[in-house]
Amino acid sequence: MAAIDLKDLTKVFGSVTAVNALTLSIPDKEFVALLGPSGCGKTTTMNMIAGIEQPTSGSICFNGVDVGHVPPGRRGIGFVFQNYAIFSHMTVRANLAFGLEIRHEPHADIARKVAEMAALMRLSDKLNRTAARLNVNEMQRLAIGRSAIVRPDIFLLDEPLSNLDAAFRAEMRTELKHLQREIRQTMIYVTHDQIEAMSMADRIAVLNLGVLQQYASPIEIYNNPANLFVAKFIGSPSMNLLPCRLVTDGGGNRLDFGAAGSIVITDPQLLAQSRMAHNSNLVLGTRPEQLELRSEDGNASSLRMTTTFVERVGARTIVHLEQNGLIVKVAEKNGYRAERGEPRSIILPQARATLFDAESGRRVQDGDH
Amino acid sequence: MTPKADGACRTGITDLAKLELLSVSKRFGRLTAVNDVSLVIEDNELFCLFGPPACGKSTILRLFLGLEAPDAGKILIGGRDVTELPPADRDLAMVFQNLALFPHMSARENLAFPLVARRADPKYITTRVAQVAETLHITHLLDKVPAHLSGGERQRVAIGRALVREPKAYLMDEPISALDARLREEMRVELNRLQRQFNHTFVHVTHDQEEAMAVADRLCVMKDGQIEQLGTPQELYNTPNNRYVARQLGSPPINFISGSFDAASGLFEASAMPLAAVAVKAAGHGTAWLGVRPEDLSIDAKAGGAGSVPAEIYEVEPLGAITIVDVKVGEQILKAQLPGQPTFSEGEPVYLCFDLAKCHLFDSGSGRRLATGLTAVARN
Repeated sequence: MAAIDLKDLTKVFGSVTAVNALTLSIPDKEFVALLGPSGCGKTTTMNMIAGIEQPTSGSICFNGVDVGHVPPGRRGIGFVFQNYAIFSHMTVRANLAFGLEIRHEPHADIARKVAEMAALMRLSDKLNRTAARLNVNEMQRLAIGRSAIVRPDIFLLDEPLSNLDAAFRAEMRTELKHLQREIRQTMIYVTHDQIEAMSMADRIAVLNLGVLQQYASPIEIYNNPANLFVAKFIGSPSMNLLPCRLVTDGGGNRLDFGAAGSIVITDPQLLAQSRMAHNSNLVLGTRPEQLELRSEDGNASSLRMTTTFVERVGARTIVHLEQNGLIVKVAEKNGYRAERGEPRSIILPQARATLFDAESGRRVQDGDH
Repeated sequence: MTPKADGACRTGITDLAKLELLSVSKRFGRLTAVNDVSLVIEDNELFCLFGPPACGKSTILRLFLGLEAPDAGKILIGGRDVTELPPADRDLAMVFQNLALFPHMSARENLAFPLVARRADPKYITTRVAQVAETLHITHLLDKVPAHLSGGERQRVAIGRALVREPKAYLMDEPISALDARLREEMRVELNRLQRQFNHTFVHVTHDQEEAMAVADRLCVMKDGQIEQLGTPQELYNTPNNRYVARQLGSPPINFISGSFDAASGLFEASAMPLAAVAVKAAGHGTAWLGVRPEDLSIDAKAGGAGSVPAEIYEVEPLGAITIVDVKVGEQILKAQLPGQPTFSEGEPVYLCFDLAKCHLFDSGSGRRLATGLTAVARN
């Protein structure tokens, strides 16, 4: 049971501001991912929540109570690190039971809880094995199980999946998400991997250079990125960000992409967004899976480009196109026919595109001055 | 070293840089790192060695380079036996994962180093460095020292330092693994472009399946020192030789469903779900695995006849462009990959539909692929 409120949280190391006036409310029982590239401040934020680092300024409250002077051991926090931190000479059973034993819980309770957690973490048949003899995947499951078994109020995970192989990582994402629902603890998950954040979290806080960029649900962040950083960081292949000029002629609005052509804005929403722009230098953001390729000439809503490269990545084919330095990626299905050198029209779904101000990098929206 | 005016233009058949291993084995103590491997890397292709850690892929690079000597077998470069030749005489250039740039030298000096060390003509060095810098888009960084470059910029300089030479082939050991996801995505396109511009043989080693499929002209999947399959990325993805290759390529990975298989009738019957299908021309007997890729599964509210089974939503992973849905069928959880952003709730009863024409059958003992493409049959 813990809702977490960070208010103007700041941490300065020498000349570096690792976390800069971060304000964030994490509701009880939510799964929140702190996402960003290395150096964005995500781990420092987590360490301050845990009490391992002292904030330079700002406050941290659990359920409305300031925990600034509460030592790490009394904050009711379970920690899972990238490098497991389990007792390798002890059995799986002893590792799982450890946290309960130091609290002197009754033996019958310990036995029951260990059996339950072992089943949840699929370690039931390995209980008598020494931890050192587990493989990497089992070791990570044990590390998670050992922290989860004591039912901390808050569960902090620092890149727990980064040592695992790709296939197992995909499995563990499902398991972790399921685990969080079963045990209903507030979970804060630190990662640089946008796929992990998107697939598991109820909400994502995207950080860059210590500053919060956006805090919303995965789908909201994907569909309506607040700025160019978020637009580029979320999604794979990344969003196409096409610099263009807004031209107003004859009452209508047009986006000019230079040699690739121009697009008359017909969608009412995009038109409304373009009217809010304070600057004619814009960036049009459009997702690779939303674009459509045609071999014939398009219409007033299409760009003319040449196929430069075709990546066949299993389930998807990513077609790269270019025109005078403007590059567009289009995601198609496995088996899609495309060859280098082919001219193509790109049809833009205007209703799902978004505009950014090229100078501020922010999404163009009402009241943005 | 013969100075050439233009690195992208090669003439004469003597430059052919086919790399070959003939029954090569390499042991380290009790561990057999490379086990009787024969392999031909064609001139001018981007060849990728892929597999988990310790599968032997890096050892193969080191054998070509001459940093390791084989215990058995022969190594040929351009048709010539180089097994006994020291590394310096093999005329290969290498990019390592851990950049290893000289910290006190500018990017320009780092780039020039391999040519200076070989006492190339100073005028040639200037032109060649400028040319490589331009190809890699690092001209504006030439006067900076590595400490003032970002991770991606340092990686470009490291690759450039290998590219200034014009060896028989360029070998790269996980050249972009240390970069973050976004930069890796950019660099793999870049590597492919470079290979075409330089018109040389590139051998690329990686443990990242998406990178392997994205960059390779031909891909070699390895396991325990042996080749599991070699072909174009599409061949390997669409017709994997065995369960191992099928599972190594693709994310989320292919799902496997166990069942019985009768070779005479070609009938596969899943043991834990009401699914039956017929495969033609499949040898094998007893038990088999049905392999279905997440993108070949779909979800429906109503029963879709044969090829669809009752299921329950377990977890939903929205990734924006696609949604991965974990579906519980009996006790087994299968991953389905759906386009777009569909919504489901946990525990919701649904039907899971198999695109059986795209499914594979694998022998449960050997793991070998028995057939691809099945037809649904109604189950009694």
